[in-house]
Amino acid sequence: MSWVVPLADVKVPEEDVQAVLDCIENGWLTMGPRIDRFEKAFAEYVGAPHAAAVSSGTAGLHLALLAAGVGEGDEVIVPGLPFVATAAAVRYAGAEPVLCDVLGVDDFSIDPERAAALIGPQTKGIAVVHAMGYPAAMSQLKALCDEHGLFLLEDVAQAIGATFDDGTQAGTSGLAGVYSLFSKGQLAVGEGGMVVTSDEAIDARVRSLRSHAMTSVTWDRHLGHWNTYDIVDVGFNFRLDEPRAALGLSRLPRLDADIEGRRRVVRSYRERLGDLPGLSLPWPDQAVERSSHFAFPVVVRDRETRDRFRDELAERGIQTTWYPSIGSLAAYADAAGADDLPRSTEVADRHCCLPLSSSFGDEQVALVVDAAREALPAAESHLKV
Amino acid sequence: MAAGPHDAGVESLATDQARTEAALQPIPVFDLKFDADDLTAVAETLRSGWLTMGPRTAEFEDAYAAHLGAKHAVAVSSCTSALHLAYLAAGVGPGDEVIVPSFTFVATAAAVRYTGATPVFADILGYENPSLDAADVERKLTERTKAVCLVHFGGYAARVDEIAELCAKHGVRLIEDCAHVPSASLRGKKLGTFGLAGAFSFFSNKVLAVGEGGVVVTDDDEVAEFARSRRSHAMTAGTWQKHTKHSAGYDVEGLGFNYRIDEPRSALLLSRLAKLGRDIERRQELTRRYRDGLRDVAGISIPFRDEDVAESCCYVMALFVDEPELRDPFRRALLDRHAIQTSVFYPSIHHFSAYRDLAGGTSLPRTELASRTEVTLPLFGHMTDEQVDRVVEAIRAEVQT
Repeated sequence: MSWVVPLADVKVPEEDVQAVLDCIENGWLTMGPRIDRFEKAFAEYVGAPHAAAVSSGTAGLHLALLAAGVGEGDEVIVPGLPFVATAAAVRYAGAEPVLCDVLGVDDFSIDPERAAALIGPQTKGIAVVHAMGYPAAMSQLKALCDEHGLFLLEDVAQAIGATFDDGTQAGTSGLAGVYSLFSKGQLAVGEGGMVVTSDEAIDARVRSLRSHAMTSVTWDRHLGHWNTYDIVDVGFNFRLDEPRAALGLSRLPRLDADIEGRRRVVRSYRERLGDLPGLSLPWPDQAVERSSHFAFPVVVRDRETRDRFRDELAERGIQTTWYPSIGSLAAYADAAGADDLPRSTEVADRHCCLPLSSSFGDEQVALVVDAAREALPAAESHLKV
Repeated sequence: MAAGPHDAGVESLATDQARTEAALQPIPVFDLKFDADDLTAVAETLRSGWLTMGPRTAEFEDAYAAHLGAKHAVAVSSCTSALHLAYLAAGVGPGDEVIVPSFTFVATAAAVRYTGATPVFADILGYENPSLDAADVERKLTERTKAVCLVHFGGYAARVDEIAELCAKHGVRLIEDCAHVPSASLRGKKLGTFGLAGAFSFFSNKVLAVGEGGVVVTDDDEVAEFARSRRSHAMTAGTWQKHTKHSAGYDVEGLGFNYRIDEPRSALLLSRLAKLGRDIERRQELTRRYRDGLRDVAGISIPFRDEDVAESCCYVMALFVDEPELRDPFRRALLDRHAIQTSVFYPSIHHFSAYRDLAGGTSLPRTELASRTEVTLPLFGHMTDEQVDRVVEAIRAEVQT
């Protein structure tokens, strides 16, 4: 199916293409100088001392949790939305995710008060997700974690470049921040991730585990020990490679402009859809300025309206998506907290995300807005009979 | 699986000694060279703007399955991921045992541990073929053994037919770690198609190399479906599917992972796959030249037989020194006096810190000896005859002193 306006639209300009080709032509593809430069540039961009490149945001969450000491018998509190990776990573570590409800249709991020109520003797930490690019209630969550001696892990897969009121970036105030370089995100590389931390030990452990816990080559001139390595833990192959680092490095300087482009589209959508009866916009206007806008969600009356709204939009060539509640997924039906996510369920039922790309001009925005203005009344026709 | 990025010697090329004592061009243990059409394939993919798994990945999977004569190929992020998915698909889980060699890269065993099962190490045949010894595999079988994973070392067939028969007899699954054999065979049948699944690597030092990447190959529909589901979070719909048709949403059916490859790597793989036969022919020529040059050198043994080269993809050119204590001085001399980089495939897994307790004093005499005597020589598709001759001469000179 060919969309009039697709959900996302990744542009790879020639300078990016050239950076990747230079790397491949050079012939060194496994972790090397470009990874090193990309990590340093990334750390500088977010304002943290350490950044370790990994194969995906999911892999980054897995390693960050292991580095935080999570293991069998432990519990980690995760939000009921938006993506399964946060909860899955807790399971990879042998621990149990405890699903925590979100604030609701006005703010999709984890509810600190609900999180407080879920803390038990097995709780090791809280993983907060800055959903859709909007920073979550970090100061409340930090206070809560400090009070109970828990770690706070930031899942920044959707929110690279998002900022708090004091100007600090999402991902830099917990134990670690885990970013995604997936192709739908603001810094799209294909597959990839980054683990950011100010804790040297966490950084060292992530670096070790991402490449099979092999000790670095020790240049030991004593012949018997020359040029060998040890394996000191059960590690993984969660490496990024040089071509993807080259692409990330080339794209990073344009990230702020990309986020600003997304914000411009979001402002325009909000102005032109804010008065549409039956449609509401999560988050207040001032939050738009701090979000890095992974996606543009809107909220309608109920699930049936949402499904019909999406169908009506699809008929008009407008691609949309939506995020299910983790508690509704077959693999998490038996997870702790899965049966107590009323607001996550409401968000999942009532929202959908409209197309969003920094490349959109007035034309794409108008196409989406006009389609939505037609589609919603049509979708709501069942309410009137 | 072969050496990771921290393995042997890359840094050592830059040593002062190598620079000053040898005004020779260093010969690396592996080297990659891409052609203009490889670059074009990647450039076109990037310009398309579609980076996550899509049509190019599907095309590569079809091409690779056809290349091996297998029913399914599922591209993933690495051979380690491929092994993990293959073990899970074989039903391996907590309390189970999987018999693996210790003379391999750690991933073969680590992926067993990801599932909660325990790797049990079996010995190799010996220098003539440093792959699993079926007789020792049989000795290691217990009622907890769920699977055997063999490694086709260096590009040459393990005794996969014998081991497949043994597995069938005992109702145990066979997984092939094909990190070294993207295109090698045993009596005309491609390696990776003998067991339940084959796990392949596209790591940067491999015969078919794109950076990071791997693939699960199988004739079993359920294994393929399982691998496809679990490589992308066990989601019932992927991004490409959602892009190409209007979907209602998705479910998550189990504990899945992000083991996806992406489109630029699939494009590079497709481009390289078309030239794999040519690359392997050249590796075979170089290997024959090495074998001829080293045949009568005293103090070393060369694994495999001359007639094995024809069905091998010749990934590793290995030799074993007779005296273990001479191995490291020999490697040092090759580097310092001749600017020739070598590597070691492999240190024994059961001696690593993370495996010593688990292996509980397991004795694998042939593996242990091979780990102390193996030297991996330079070998890559664009290596010249003159470079091989230089390595051979250097070995002769050093062995005689």
